[in-house]
Amino acid sequence: MGRFARSLGIRHLVCGSCNGCEHEMLALSGPAYDITQYGWDVVASPRHADVVSVTGPMTEAMRAAAAATLDAVPRPRIVLAIGDCAAGVGPWSGAPAAGIGAGVELQAAVTVAGCPPAPERIVEALREAARLLDADTR
Amino acid sequence: MTLASTSAPLGAYATDADLHYLRLESGGVVATLVPRGVPHGARAAEAPVFGWDEREMADARGVRFSASPDARPFREHGGRMPDAIVAHGAGLTQIVVGPVHAGIIEPGRFTFSSGGETVVHLDAQLGYAHRGVERFLEGRDALAAAPLVARICGSCSAARSHAYALALERLAGVAVARETAYARVALCELERIYNHLGDLAACASGAGWAPGFTGGLALKERAMRLCAAAGGHRLLFDAIVPGGVATGALADRQRIRLELEGLRRDTATFVAKLFGNSSVASRWHGAGVISREAVEAFGATGPALRACGVPLDVRAFAAYGGYAELSPEVAEHRGGDVFARCAVKRAELAESFRLASIALERSGTLPAALALEVAPGTAYACVEGARGAETIALHVDAGGRIERFHAISASYRTWPLVALAMDGNIVPDFPVVNKSFNLCYACADR
Repeated sequence: MGRFARSLGIRHLVCGSCNGCEHEMLALSGPAYDITQYGWDVVASPRHADVVSVTGPMTEAMRAAAAATLDAVPRPRIVLAIGDCAAGVGPWSGAPAAGIGAGVELQAAVTVAGCPPAPERIVEALREAARLLDADTR
Repeated sequence: MTLASTSAPLGAYATDADLHYLRLESGGVVATLVPRGVPHGARAAEAPVFGWDEREMADARGVRFSASPDARPFREHGGRMPDAIVAHGAGLTQIVVGPVHAGIIEPGRFTFSSGGETVVHLDAQLGYAHRGVERFLEGRDALAAAPLVARICGSCSAARSHAYALALERLAGVAVARETAYARVALCELERIYNHLGDLAACASGAGWAPGFTGGLALKERAMRLCAAAGGHRLLFDAIVPGGVATGALADRQRIRLELEGLRRDTATFVAKLFGNSSVASRWHGAGVISREAVEAFGATGPALRACGVPLDVRAFAAYGGYAELSPEVAEHRGGDVFARCAVKRAELAESFRLASIALERSGTLPAALALEVAPGTAYACVEGARGAETIALHVDAGGRIERFHAISASYRTWPLVALAMDGNIVPDFPVVNKSFNLCYACADR
């Protein structure tokens, strides 16, 4: 198992989601899914992150803050799009103050669809993100 | 109980023709219309409840108000957010956090003006989750728009879908069968249960008690799985539809009944431990106090209102659907602090289990959803979501399309109180004070 697969720092970035994806992201910290068993953690600062998980269609008001957050993440890093909105196929894509999907705009390398995706699916997507990071640094 | 016995202001919105000021009376939502095109005195000067609404009407719909107490724009324009209001003075500093936060929460920017640790003013700037929902809905087929309405906010989807269905059914001139009305009660109480469990878990975390956080999240997970079993979706998206409930809702009655009872029992054990923990209680008492005068002036709703000694609950005050025959018991506390808000949610959890259980039995054999023929006109609906009154105003044209849709969420109504609750508190108490409200950003911003 690679370094990132055993020690993944995740920074969550909400870009106009309905907060449904956040309920499922929060579930990863609960006993039913408990990602700390893999050595993963939701980190408080983008400076500590390996993965930036993004949700929402992107909003006009969040675009600059989202870019600044991503800029603050050291390389190697990976963007993970969580949910239909971030993937660009959600209900609010193209709404007057929304973008085309936070994951599309921030060039996500891994996408997990769903409205919202189940926690197990998010865990699988995080594992894929770790695998790509490990392949990148091998 | 002046407020609860007569009427409660809900908010206001503008159409091309009129300003609509809404209030809740025992018979439901009542509108006062003011024609546009005449100079409007801002009602917010006397009634702070309309502060956000009038700013939004001016910013998004071009209404001009005279003597507005807050003339700032309401939302972002060209990448620039409205300026924060800060306190200046000797020894005061500003601490700005957000819109990106350390945990898994929605985006908002909080500007604390503090003297040392003590907050003298908090300005909460929202709008980062603004998608332009209302304009996006305009022109769409009103029935076909229901899945979009269900996705304005994940945390209050069932309540909002319920309100939207009631508004459409009013325009169609029909009422759903008794069984369907009870099924909707069961689904909406499940939504309250998973939300309140999540809120109590977060407040345990805010008090530094990790077992309360994990224990609460474990129960919340069970509640979300129960939502999936009962309504086909962990957050109940599309479980309540125009004319009825989702096909297959509550189908596995025996399993739902068993799991509901098991969850009720384990929740009772959990809250007894949580409220019996003196360290947690000591952290909750006296933190984030708001006054009854403030909640009434700002039109706050839900547990935040009831925790200040105002027993107003839409389910009892202006009963709708299946609630009319259930006589929900309204929780109340007078403390106005974090403890009081948690105590109200504790009492409401017990009542939700009772209501869900009765509603489940009475929902019987569910008929298929009614096919609605929506007549043109205006309809309002207001229901009690987990955070309070969820109001919808719906204008439909002759083609069955949405002319104007406006949602006043409990979070929109209650956010100003979160800022007020921090006055005189220390900055490190913000997480627990904030979580004791646990308001949504998505339905406040739309």
